[in-house]
This record gives sequence, C-alpha cells and structure tokens, in this order.
Amino acid sequence: MKRTGVFVCHCGINIAGTVDVKKAAKELSKHKGVVHSEDYVYMCSDPGQNLILDAIKEKKLDNVVIACCSPTLHETTFRNASKSAGLNEFQCEIANIREQCSWVHKDMDKATEKAIKITKSAVEKVRRNESLEPISIPVTRRALVIGGGIAGIQSALDLANTGYEVILVERSPSIGGHMIQLSETFPTLDCSQCILTPKMVEVSKHSNIKLMTSSEIQEISGYVGNFKAKILKKPTYVDADKCTLCDECTKVCPVVVSNEFDLGLTGRRAIYIPFPQAIPATYTLDISACPGLLPIACGKCADVCEPGAIDFDMKPEIIEEEVGAIIVASGFDLYEKEMMGEYGYGKYPDVLDGLQFERLLSASGPTMGKVLRPSDHKEPKEVVFIQCAGSRDPELHCPYCSKICCMYTAKHAMLYKHHVHDGQAYIFYIDIRSGGKGYEEFVQRAVEEDGVLYLRGKVSKIFEEKGKIKVWGVDTLAGKDIEIDADMVVLATAMRPSEGAEELAKKLKIALDKDGFLSEAHPKLRPVESVTSGMFLAGAAQAPKDIPEAVAQASGAAAKAIAILSQERLFHAPTVAKVNVNLCTGCGMCVDVCPYDSLSLKDGKVEVNEVLCEGCGTCSATCLRAAIQIRNLTPLQVSEMIKVSLGG
Amino acid sequence: MVNLEDLKNEAHKLLKEGTVKYIIGYERGTNGLLPIPAFIKNPEDVERLIWDPTCVFNLTRFLVDEKRRKASEKEPDERPVGVIVKGCDSRALVVLLQEKFINRDDVYILGVSCEEAGVLDEKKLAKTLKGKKAKNIEFTKNDNFVVMTEDGKTEISAKEILAERCLECKANFPVIYDILLGEKVKRKSDKPFGSLEKFESLSKEERWTFWKEQLDKCIRCYACRSVCPMCYCDECVADTINFAVTADTTAEEKAQKIKWAEKSPVTSENFVYHLVRAIHLAGRCIDCGECERVCPLDIPLRLLNKKLEKEAKELFDYEVGFDPDQPSLVSSFKDEDPEDFIR
Ligand SMILES: Cc1cc2nc3c(=O)[nH]c(=O)nc-3n(C[C@H](O)[C@H](O)[C@H](O)COP(=O)(O)OP(=O)(O)OC[C@H]3O[C@@H](n4cnc5c(N)ncnc54)[C@H](O)[C@@H]3O)c2cc1C
Ligand code: SF4
Ligand code: SF4
Ligand code: SF4
Ligand code: SF4
Repeated sequence: MKRTGVFVCHCGINIAGTVDVKKAAKELSKHKGVVHSEDYVYMCSDPGQNLILDAIKEKKLDNVVIACCSPTLHETTFRNASKSAGLNEFQCEIANIREQCSWVHKDMDKATEKAIKITKSAVEKVRRNESLEPISIPVTRRALVIGGGIAGIQSALDLANTGYEVILVERSPSIGGHMIQLSETFPTLDCSQCILTPKMVEVSKHSNIKLMTSSEIQEISGYVGNFKAKILKKPTYVDADKCTLCDECTKVCPVVVSNEFDLGLTGRRAIYIPFPQAIPATYTLDISACPGLLPIACGKCADVCEPGAIDFDMKPEIIEEEVGAIIVASGFDLYEKEMMGEYGYGKYPDVLDGLQFERLLSASGPTMGKVLRPSDHKEPKEVVFIQCAGSRDPELHCPYCSKICCMYTAKHAMLYKHHVHDGQAYIFYIDIRSGGKGYEEFVQRAVEEDGVLYLRGKVSKIFEEKGKIKVWGVDTLAGKDIEIDADMVVLATAMRPSEGAEELAKKLKIALDKDGFLSEAHPKLRPVESVTSGMFLAGAAQAPKDIPEAVAQASGAAAKAIAILSQERLFHAPTVAKVNVNLCTGCGMCVDVCPYDSLSLKDGKVEVNEVLCEGCGTCSATCLRAAIQIRNLTPLQVSEMIKVSLGG
Repeated sequence: MVNLEDLKNEAHKLLKEGTVKYIIGYERGTNGLLPIPAFIKNPEDVERLIWDPTCVFNLTRFLVDEKRRKASEKEPDERPVGVIVKGCDSRALVVLLQEKFINRDDVYILGVSCEEAGVLDEKKLAKTLKGKKAKNIEFTKNDNFVVMTEDGKTEISAKEILAERCLECKANFPVIYDILLGEKVKRKSDKPFGSLEKFESLSKEERWTFWKEQLDKCIRCYACRSVCPMCYCDECVADTINFAVTADTTAEEKAQKIKWAEKSPVTSENFVYHLVRAIHLAGRCIDCGECERVCPLDIPLRLLNKKLEKEAKELFDYEVGFDPDQPSLVSSFKDEDPEDFIR
C-alpha cells in the first residue's frame, strides 16, 4: 500500500475561515493509505514547505496531497518541494479547497465536508499517478512578428537587437501601421512620422530582420519553440531591387482610385507608393484597380519604367519559415463608417473620422497641413468634435471604452486652434478619461490655453442646412439644448480589432475576448501572453491603447519571446495522451478532434506525437473505446475520484 | 422489382470468375418464416439465394466477423467478400468505411433496392393473419405483399405489415454498391421521425417511468449488441466481460480496467449499459432496427437511437451513413454548432 501524506493549508483565514481545517486533517488521516495528515497556517511559506519535506523523509511518504489554493498558483512550489525531498514531482497533487470550496461557500460544516471530499479524491488520484519526467525539445531560435505597426516594429527591433533573427510579416505594402498616418502625438505633440520613420528605416536595414510586406499568414502549425509558418507573399508586380522610385509610372497610369493612406480624402493611381517614406521603398501595383496585367489591356507603366522593374508575371509565393516564438501585433481599425449613420458619417463630406482629421492636420497630408473642408476647401470656423462615437454604447455599438479618444480629441481641438486661430472648437463628451503621465495637464491646456469648449452631453441629431452642418445636442451640466451651425464635424469613432483578426486568431489557435480583441492569458499576471504558449500579444490588437502603451507591451512581448529563444531546450509536460493499441480500432475520430494535430493513424492504430500533445483530453473524451488516455488522468483515476467524492 | 434470377446470375458470375471469395446473402431456413444468412462459396450454390420481404437481417454485421477471422489467418485470402445489402444496410457499410473498420477493397457490394416496399415486421404480419401461418411471402409488382397461407394466397398492403423503420426509411435503395439490382425509385417516405411523436409528447416523469419499466426487463443477454454492425469493439466499455487480453496486454493495462457497469441486470446497471450504448451509437446508428427486432423482451431500443438521430439532425444537421468521407458526428466541429447548453 502506498504511503500518502496530506497537508491542509489554512491560507490565513482564506480557507480556515470557512473550512474546519483541523477537523479536515483529522478526518483525512483516517482515509485508506494516508499515513500522515496535518494542517498549517501557510503551507506555501518556508516553514510550511519544510513540514512537507520533513514528513516525506521521516514518514517515508510515496506521495503527497496539498489541500490549498488553485494548482495554477502553487502547484510548481509544492512539486519542487517534493522533488527536493526525493519524490518524483508527479507524486504531488493539489486539492483546491480555496477557489473551489472556501471562497464559494458560507456554511462551515458543509464546506468542511466538501473540502474533505476534494482532498480524498486527490489522494485517490495521486495514488495512481505514474512517475514521469518532462519531455525535452529543442528550440528554433528565431521569431515571427505579425503586423508592422509601431507595436510590431518595436518587438522586431528588440528581438533583432538581442541577436535573434526575426521575420516581420505585414499585410499592407509598407510597415508603419496607423501611427504613420498621425500628425502630431499627444501628450508632447511631437511629429508622428518624425519619431516613427527612424525605426522603420532601422527595420529595413537590420541584418537580423527579414521583412515581408504584402504578406499574410496562411497557416501556423507546431508548438512553442518549434512553430512552422506558411506565409503567403502576394505579388506587387514591381521588383523592389530594380525600382529607382522615379515615379514615372504613376504619371502614365490612367486609373485613379481612393487613397487608403489618406482615408479617401485623396486619390492614387493603380500603381503607387503608399507614402513617400514607405518601407520597403518601392511601388506596388494594385491588381484590383489595374485594368489587367496584360500589356494589351494597358501596360503603360511597364512601357515607361526605364529599369524594367515592372513584372506582370510575378506570382504569389508561399514561404515557409520555422520559428520558436510568435508575436501578434495586428493592431486595430476604426469602427465601420456604415455603422455611424446617425451622425451623418459617410453621408456628409464634412463629417470626418479621427484618422481623416489627422491627415488634414498632417504637414504631408492632402491639404499640406491646412485644415480645409473636403467639400469646398474652405477653412472651417466652427468645428464640433464628438467623443465616444460608437464606444461605450452596449445597446447599439461597442460596449467598451476605446481609451485613446479623449486624448486625441483634445489634441485635435488644440491643433485645430493652432491652425485656425479665430476658429471655435466644441467637444461633446460623456466624461474625460485622461489617466496617464501628463495627460490631464494636456487636456487642461486645451481648455485653458486654446479655449476649447467642452460640452457634457450627447448629440441627438446632425443634418445639413444651407451649407452648414447643424448639430443638435444637450449640455447636461447646464441643462439646456444646444444648436451649433458647424462647418465640420469630427467623430472619435471606436477602435475595433483589425479586420481579419478573427481569422488570424483561428489560424494561430489563440482566443478572442468578447469584443473580438486578442485575449491575454491572464488579465493581470500574464497580460502579454496569449493562451497558447509561445505566442505573445502586442499593441492595439489586444485592447485599445495609445503609442506608449503599445510600445511598452511590444517590448514586454519581445522579452517574453527572448525568454524562450534564449534556451537551448524547452521542457514539455509529460502528462500527454497514451494509446492502448489493443483497444484502438483505428477509427480516427481522435485524430479529427485533436486541436493540436498531435495524432495520426499508422497501420490501423493511432499514434501520439508527445511533443505536440497538450494533454487536453479531447481525444480521450471522444474515443468510444477508452483506447486513448491522458497520463495521470486516466479513466480509472477519474472513476475512483468520482467514487470517493460520492462517498463510495 | 428485383429479379431473383438476376441476383443469382450476378452471384454466379462473381464466384465463377473468382472476383469474390464468398458471398453473404439470404437463404430459406428450416424453422419459421424468416430466412437464415447464407455464406456461398461454390457457384452452383447460388440457387439457395432468396430475396423477398422476409430478408430483414443486416448482413454487414458478418463483415465484422470476417475481419476478425482474416486477422487471425496466416495467409489470408485477399479477395473481397460479396455482401447483399438493402438501402439501410448499405448505410451501415458507409459508417464502417467512415470509421476505417473495413476497407472498400475488402467488400464487393451487391445492392438490392427495396423500391416502394421494404421488409416486413413479423409481429405485424402475425396480427394481420390472425393466427394463420404464412408459408411464403413475395413482393408484387405494385409493391404490396403476396402472402401464402394454408388458406391460399392473399395480397396484403405493404403499409400494413412493413417494419416500422421501413416506414421512416431514408434510403430505400443502396447509397453505395458495386452492382445494383432493382430500380432507384425515390419513395415518398412518411414522417422521418414519426415513431418518436408519441414518446416525445410524454412528460419527463412519464418518460422516466416508461424507460424504467422497459429497461428493468432487460436480462443483459446482449443480443442487441451482438447483432449491431456498429458494436464492433473488442471490448465494450459498457461491460468488460470480454476484455481483450492478448499476449501483449500489460499488467498495467489490466490494472487500468474499470467496471463502468456491473454485470447484474438491475435497473441502475441496465441504465448505464443502455445509455452508454445509445450515446456510443449517436451519429453511427443507421436504423436497421435489428437491435429492437432481436430483443427477446421487446424493449423498444429503436426509440433511444432514433431520438439521438433526430437530435443530431436538428442540432448539427448531421445525417449518418451517406458519405464515407464525412467526419463522424462526435469528431466534427463547426463554428456555428449550438452551444447554448454551456452555461
Ligand atoms: C485618430 C487617432 C489618433 C491617435 N493619436 C494618438 C496620439 O496622438 N498619441 C498616441 O500615443 N496614440 C495615438 N493613437 C493611437 C495609435 O494610433 C495606436 O496606439 C497605435 O497605432 C497602435 O499600434 P499597433 O502597432 O498596435 O497597431 P496598428 O498601428 O494598427 O498596426 C497594425 C499593423 O498590423 C498590420 N496587420 C493587421 N492585421 C494583419 C495580419 N493579419 N497580417 C499581417 N499584418 C497585419 C496592419 O496592416 C498594420 O500595419 C491615435 C489613434 C487614432 C485612431
Ligand atoms: S478514437 Fe479511439 S479507437 Fe478511434 S483511432 Fe482514436 S484511439 Fe483508436
Ligand atoms: S490530449 Fe489528445 S486531443 Fe488533446 S492534444 Fe493530446 S492527443 Fe490531442
Ligand atoms: S437484447 Fe434486449 S434483453 Fe438482451 S441485452 Fe439487449 S435490450 Fe437487454
Ligand atoms: S443500434 Fe440497432 S438499429 Fe442501430 S445500427 Fe445497431 S442494430 Fe441497427
């Protein structure tokens, strides 16, 4: 008979307040095979751990059960302690009597009874545990970064500067993300392009960074330390090495389409460079706009291209890369125009979104930095800014706060005043959220120095009348209706996960939160890790955030990735699936369900790739024949655990 | 209408040319109206083959035995086995192929179409004949049955004596075959889950009482399991009497053996057996009705399987036994699968 030791933790009064720990320890000492049972105020403390160590040695214990908090917190602590006393770490099990018992109950008698049952079932489990050694796997010491906004750029540079090779995949023709579209940035008002372009150039020149633009992830397989990525490189029809940026092609291209960089405020040709400082510095042929690649359809650009950089025969390529860690920095998009019909957005040309206004303010923008109305190119004298357009509106739009709009609206109003000294800026707001270093002072400056008029309340209607945009609203502080004859309206539309984030998450097998942003592993303690090990999150892809926060998270994600890449081998939990070949009929149902592709059929029986298996148990639950089981969580163990929990 | 002579000719040819090693079909028995399975090796013996409304068995079950036999042979004959299948039986074959239990190359499928008719229900026939004994029974051109009794021939409307599942049939001609006999006529089937209606109208308590009464009767003879083509596991998790102990079964494997249900035929254990079996047949049972037919205690087992078939159809739009390449019900997942049961 195996000799089991039980250790009941009080966790101060966290457990002892609801569970009679003395009684539990006493009752458990009577359970079959339990030769040692005691309680202590903090098992995780040094003296607590020593109690375990001493008991293992003195009472020659074969295994131990610690009845305490969730195994996500102290399982490692206690397994290490058991190991140092000479036990295999899998001979230590946790019975969670805090989160699953004391914290959720009030009645002491019942809670005590339940704590005893939980612990007994852990005893039954540990008695049947195999002693296992971790599975060791080599690490591919390169990283993949998805998304080339400021967050992706920062992660890539941090990794590259540490000495690791990085593949940076960006789906648009240039890196830079949304930050490259901004004019000046709060709270210091430095020029966005001036601080971003040096980093972009560094990326393009870095010997450790392999930049892939116009590229998308097609498939990710593998596991932490050893991922395989299939990347689709779309043809740009322009050979970047040959292109001399002479701009002759755009002069002859007959097609004009809306320019996404200026959010439709200007047009561009079918062959174009996204913006002058684009990285990589080259032109792209937009195939959806070009009348056809055949020279007979048009072919004017190729005719004038002296170095012969235009190659109509360029084909999509699938490039395979092996990496050890992945950082996802796929960023955000603004809430769809169509959704904001109530504010006349998309209907009146002078109702703009925040990014369009950034372009109007930008020295390199469509108006060369002059604030002019798109409709008649006149200077607007009355501008209304509306905050929370689409945010904090669980009924109709997004329930969450987009976090950055209070700040950039203050910035917009301020910059507008710097451009149009005799103009008036009004801001409709619900409340002002300016938590951040120097942020509150920034908002105050807008009010005090620039005379921005903050109106607390909602806008009820916007319509055009005699060349003006009439804005009806209420000032809830003054308690009166407001009517403004505005020349321009700027909406601080909500930040949304970037288009395609859902699809990307599926390919990566990482989770999304209820709003569609990428989900972190723990909201407090693991904010840059995804739920899949080896994949990290950075920037606005995870939640709305501004540049400093995006950069901080990006460096955090890089540090997490480095923690993996800096190791020669990784260790993988050995609690993986195991097949009983005598029972397996080779039906392959488990192969279909395994979310980690760790199973395959060979000669009519299933085989487990232990390195891929995460021990999730899906296969075991699917197999009709109980032919596949998880080590240390076998059907027999589960059945015995249930039996003892039911009092049997 | 399937011409028996055509069937015999095809079988003869297959055996003569050595295309198949033997043919599983139906032949007249010596006891009662129902036929017995025929295993025909010699071309001359094809004369024994019959095809009439008494051919109720699902012969694909014998492929399971054939697979076992072959595995134990030193130098197995690699030729396929010929098997005669009705529409419903062919769907069982599809599931066996889908679950990779048999290879397509190992079977030669002689499909027979039930056309507008089907097979009979012995109990219904007995009721209709009011004590008279049927000697012989045949299909007619207009898809009724001609029954020969001591009083001579009578024509009975097929509807009256058809097996219940034939009335709800989803495939009255084989969905997979090498040769097809009879016409591919699409039958106007009745309500596909008609037999469930009465049962579903009962309250929860009434249903519990109903099943308690029914399952209490079970003597655990396992006839239902033995006849089912899907119950091909070496060891049934619902009871471990035939735990597959082979030369390489380890002590650990033996130690890991669990008794989910006791052998004794008492209510609780009977429930475990039947519910586990029903769940294990979800998305696999093709409603050949054999389990219910063979039960010596007339337990309406079809109801359990039919209910799960309906749930699979309504919740997951899953239909079993038509496509050997589709993933099975329990191993397929779609984003739009309902999940409102997760609370
Ligand atoms: C109007 C406005 C004004 C702002 N002003 C300020 C300010 O003054 N100060 C400040 O601190 N912040 C400001 N911000 C916030 C700032 O823009 C963001 O914090 C920052 O851009 C976030 O960077 P990111 O890299 O996470 O995302 P993004 O900038 O969105 O970059 C994501 C990148 O990933 C790419 N991508 C997306 N999906 C994929 C995919 N599947 N595969 C490959 N690539 C993909 C995209 O093409 C993009 O290049 C402002 C935002 C707005 C909307
Ligand atoms: S589900 Fe079970 S029987 Fe089927 S292949 Fe997997 S382990 Fe084997
Ligand atoms: S436990 Fe089974 S389903 Fe889960 S990862 Fe391992 S093999 Fe795949
Ligand atoms: S055939 Fe009938 S009696 Fe026999 S085990 Fe099945 S249900 Fe029970
Ligand atoms: S459970 Fe019954 S009806 Fe279903 S396939 Fe098996 S024997 Fe046929």
